[in-house]
Amino acid sequence: MAPSTRSEDGPLTAGGDQAAPRPGRAGHQSAPSRQGPQNHPNRADGIGKRSLTGRLWRRLPKGIRTPVGLIAAVVALAWIAMCLFGAQVAPHDPLAQELPRFTPPGSTAWLGTDELGRDVLSRILSGARVTIGLALALVVMSMVVGSLLGLVAGYFGRWVDETVMRFTDLVMAFPTVILAMVTAAALGASLFNAVLAALVVSWPQYARVVRSMVLSLRTSEFVASGRLLGFSPARSIRLDILPNVSGPTLVLASLDIGTAALLLSGLSFLGLGAKPPTPEWGSMVSSAVQHFDKWWLGVFPGLAILTVVISFNFLGDALRDAFDPEAGEA
Amino acid sequence: MKSLSSKRPVACLAALAVVVAVSACAEPEGGTGDKDRSGSASGQIVIDTTFDVKTIDPGREYEPTGQILVKGLYDTLLTFADEDTTKVVPDLATYMANEELTEYTLTLEEGRVFSDGEPVTADDVVFSLERLQGLKGNPAFLLDGVSVEKIDDATVKLTTAESAPALPAILATPSLGILNSKVVKDHGGATDDSDTAEEFLNGNSAGSGPYVLEKLDVSSEAILAKNEKYNGPQKATYDRVILRNTEPATQKMNVERGDSQVALGLSGDMAESLAPGVKIESVPSATVVFLLVNADPAVSDLTSKPDLVKAIKAGVDYDGLLEIAGLGAAQATGLVPSVFLGALDEGDALKYDPDAAKAAVAAAGAEGQPITLSFPNDIDPTGLNMTTLAERLQSQLGKVGLNVKLAPAPFATEIDAYRSGTEQIGLWYWNPDYMDPANYLAFGPGETVGLRSGWPEGANAAIEQLVSAGYTTGDETERQKVFEQWGKAMNAESPFVPLLQPGSNVAYQPSVTGVHYNPVWLINVAGLGAN
Amino acid sequence: MSPDSELTDPGPALGPGGEAGPVRRGPAHAVLWRYIGKRLLIAVGLLWGMTLVTFALTNLVPGDPVAAALGQRAADDPAIVERFRQQYGLDQSLAGQYWDYLVRLVHLDLGTSWQTHNPVARDLAKAIPATMEIAFGAIIMAALIGISFGAWSAYRKGKMADQILRLVSLAGISLPTFWVAIVFFYAFYYRLGWAPGSGRLSPGMPAPPKITGMYTVDALLTGQWSVFMDASAHLVLPTAVLTLYTIGLLTRFSRTSFLEVLDKGYIEAAKAKGLPGRTIFFKYVLRAGAIPILTVIGLAFGSLLSGTVLVESIFGWPGLGSYAYQAASRLDLLAVMGVGLFVGLVYLCINLVVDLAYGFIDPRVRVG
Repeated sequence: MAPSTRSEDGPLTAGGDQAAPRPGRAGHQSAPSRQGPQNHPNRADGIGKRSLTGRLWRRLPKGIRTPVGLIAAVVALAWIAMCLFGAQVAPHDPLAQELPRFTPPGSTAWLGTDELGRDVLSRILSGARVTIGLALALVVMSMVVGSLLGLVAGYFGRWVDETVMRFTDLVMAFPTVILAMVTAAALGASLFNAVLAALVVSWPQYARVVRSMVLSLRTSEFVASGRLLGFSPARSIRLDILPNVSGPTLVLASLDIGTAALLLSGLSFLGLGAKPPTPEWGSMVSSAVQHFDKWWLGVFPGLAILTVVISFNFLGDALRDAFDPEAGEA
Repeated sequence: MKSLSSKRPVACLAALAVVVAVSACAEPEGGTGDKDRSGSASGQIVIDTTFDVKTIDPGREYEPTGQILVKGLYDTLLTFADEDTTKVVPDLATYMANEELTEYTLTLEEGRVFSDGEPVTADDVVFSLERLQGLKGNPAFLLDGVSVEKIDDATVKLTTAESAPALPAILATPSLGILNSKVVKDHGGATDDSDTAEEFLNGNSAGSGPYVLEKLDVSSEAILAKNEKYNGPQKATYDRVILRNTEPATQKMNVERGDSQVALGLSGDMAESLAPGVKIESVPSATVVFLLVNADPAVSDLTSKPDLVKAIKAGVDYDGLLEIAGLGAAQATGLVPSVFLGALDEGDALKYDPDAAKAAVAAAGAEGQPITLSFPNDIDPTGLNMTTLAERLQSQLGKVGLNVKLAPAPFATEIDAYRSGTEQIGLWYWNPDYMDPANYLAFGPGETVGLRSGWPEGANAAIEQLVSAGYTTGDETERQKVFEQWGKAMNAESPFVPLLQPGSNVAYQPSVTGVHYNPVWLINVAGLGAN
Repeated sequence: MSPDSELTDPGPALGPGGEAGPVRRGPAHAVLWRYIGKRLLIAVGLLWGMTLVTFALTNLVPGDPVAAALGQRAADDPAIVERFRQQYGLDQSLAGQYWDYLVRLVHLDLGTSWQTHNPVARDLAKAIPATMEIAFGAIIMAALIGISFGAWSAYRKGKMADQILRLVSLAGISLPTFWVAIVFFYAFYYRLGWAPGSGRLSPGMPAPPKITGMYTVDALLTGQWSVFMDASAHLVLPTAVLTLYTIGLLTRFSRTSFLEVLDKGYIEAAKAKGLPGRTIFFKYVLRAGAIPILTVIGLAFGSLLSGTVLVESIFGWPGLGSYAYQAASRLDLLAVMGVGLFVGLVYLCINLVVDLAYGFIDPRVRVG
């Protein structure tokens, strides 16, 4: 058993907040909710019980079955669509310097043009793939890396656990942005390297959460009995532990997409991410600073970041509620 | 389903929070009242600039903001008038040179004193110049091969082995400011690297300039105060000069709102959209922005082909670059900027010729082949955004068939690749070290910058001859001819593509007078006056 | 068993009807001291690890610090370069340089910065209070507002107020700080003129004598009212930007914590027993919920110290963030290490303090 330092479990970075299913809850049986049955029909839906849409509707996580939830879902879906088709939908070539510079929003360019005469709308639409795609990649990578380490640490315990957790502490004690900056500087500015740099700072939360879940699972009866039956660690991990750990980890990951998008666009804002002329929202905001009186240069990419982060965070919240109804609304 | 009473404690907490929030929000109104005081020029002038300063020890400083400060704190032997940056004039001394320009005799003006009232003597001059050489700091190269000798209390002789026509201009560089040798020695000063006076000189000044140092914080603020003992020709107008480290965008906001009186770092675009009521001094700066196209086949098979250099020289739409550079910018007719002797006429500048460029691209077999363009992205020479410029170049060269990949990096990282000559194409700039065209001969084959472009000694005998003539020719008309010949040959045959001189845009309140751009020290704070 | 289940589960000790036990020092002193000693040992190990990581990373950067630190002409002169390398110990092997650094560190010497030519410790002493001033402001505001919002939201679970507050807090943590900072500066300073411009004080306003280095505090201590007002006015915008994010964070976190507590049988029982709501809230709910909230406040404060890079650069605030940013982008190795060490140290201290505080808030938490 690791020394009982508080720091090795609970702490959450400023980015990932209470979303982490805290270890204490892993085996926690939720008390009967005071809010009545979970599947109490939501008054807002008003859709007949028997229709197909009605049934699908009921399957959605509760958080989405509200007007705000619907808006968030639509916005998130729209942005995902833009990831796939943004470049095709864009009215102009996002790289073409063919319009007059600094055209205000209007009929020539709906969201105006930038300092090189490029269409801001087209750059935002094509940039969706960059910002959201990379955020997803980052989340998947940190989830895989972090979970693996957490799994290994939690399952094997002893010095393996000690080593992994001390390393996690080390990374978490580091100032996030500065560590990412130094990493990005060491590797050179590029999108891929920005993701790597962000990965360096974002895996520990997964490692911690997975580790503590594994710790409590390991002592549970079914894992212990597996061990008695002579199951190999690999089998035990695959059959007993992974299925129990994956749900909460995915929820944590879904809540992390927004944070990842913020971190990556922040790095690009500092010139450590996307290379020009790639349309990336953070670097668009960054160059807009120099032209603050052309408000459309900064306002629209900023709103793009904001809507992506907020809608993904909302959906992540809803997903978490679906897994853990207690925390959600009645 | 909860009792009413259960809400009350929460409401109390919330109310407390709101009260705190409101009182915090109310504070700025108290703050705006204070602004009226700082806005007026009541003996104080606020200058916003982006700080680039490590030290203001004259023997060690070599960054733009350091130059501004040192210029205000230390007099030099010779100088340039604020309005005329082509002619050297006396400051602490007058000079005579022998015919070969190998011996310069400097005679100190009578009666000039340091800020502690002590007279400026030949000993101070010898100490200051020898200290600069002995410290082996950044500016030490300025006096390479110059020996300093005291003749009498008011006379100093400088001797060089070869003729040195640029020496008077070099003597006007702020780094060659004259220190109060007694004070500096008392604080660890020496003329070799046992010197420990830097820390003292970063907190105090020991010069005879119009201002003395009140405070320096290299990351945020510098304050100069009027030197009451100053008895030279350019007395300070303002009691205090405050230089603040400010981002360019904020500089514009500050000067438009009247929170600062002068903004030094505006980009051409910002200068164009300046609010009415703010004045602007806009001239092409002496900073030359150029491309180097590496001639070393080991670095790139493509860029080392002469046809590729031709393709780039003809493929750049120079007017299209000026458009993004904004107010004050001008095409660089050659590597020597327009304010210097020997600068080329507009007719001699490189010209945009897309057809010739396409032909040259085909001849080089470079169509669609990836070439890397490296540049520093965290530095903006005279307000020019290097990233925007690189993006424009990439788009222009793409139109003539070149596939240019952009590789930005922080200055601190990229400078190493630049200096070691490993960039395929580099986008860089050159600020003059001193006010003489000899400074630009560094672009010749086998010279400092030439080597960075993979252009070794022996690569071009004709240009090399012009370079040595440029260093030593003393006669002014001859000199001009040599530099013009050199400039034309460089435009035609060198692996360098001079692009533009960004505008120097200084925005200022109408209450301020005497705003003049200087290529070396940007602005002379002592020359600023008030209406 | 996992120490966590003990830490986060208020459990039956605060059981129905029973008054909370008097706050006592949990463990015997010897155990406590051994615990602290162990933690300190781990902390020292971590700090050493941080120096190693930073040193390795900074040396991986594909640039020569000499080229970065020296002027272009000087860097071409081998004699000057040689002297620079000697002066900063760069002529030694990497291992030698690192050893030198550690030896100096033991003597509390962080070395000299290449970019400011000042001892790193002196630079930090100037930058830290500037950042602390914003961080303290933001954390206090955010804690007051965030915890109230969280409690409100938890009590009104599922109701309109809860929905709105959840959305607001979600928006708070979704804001791109760098963007909000620009928008605020543009709107409240440039357009409206409600807030003063960049920097910590108006130009010409003399800084108060240094006591803590935090201008507002120093001005108050020395009774310089106008300086205090000026410094406070400059604090408002950067603090507000950071507060927004932290409020979102704390609202969300405290809501969850309070909900968990409200679920407990003993709260139901207390209500059934007819205890006034105020008593229930302050005596049980707040106390039980305080533990996890305290952790988050501590960590949020730690991350504020280094997370201000983006905000400081926009408000021209000469704090730790802009210092670190400059240092990192200029390959100023010793300065980066200095900042890293300081923030790491603060982080470890906060962790320790939070852990110890558990013992005081909830006496049942045992260490050992």
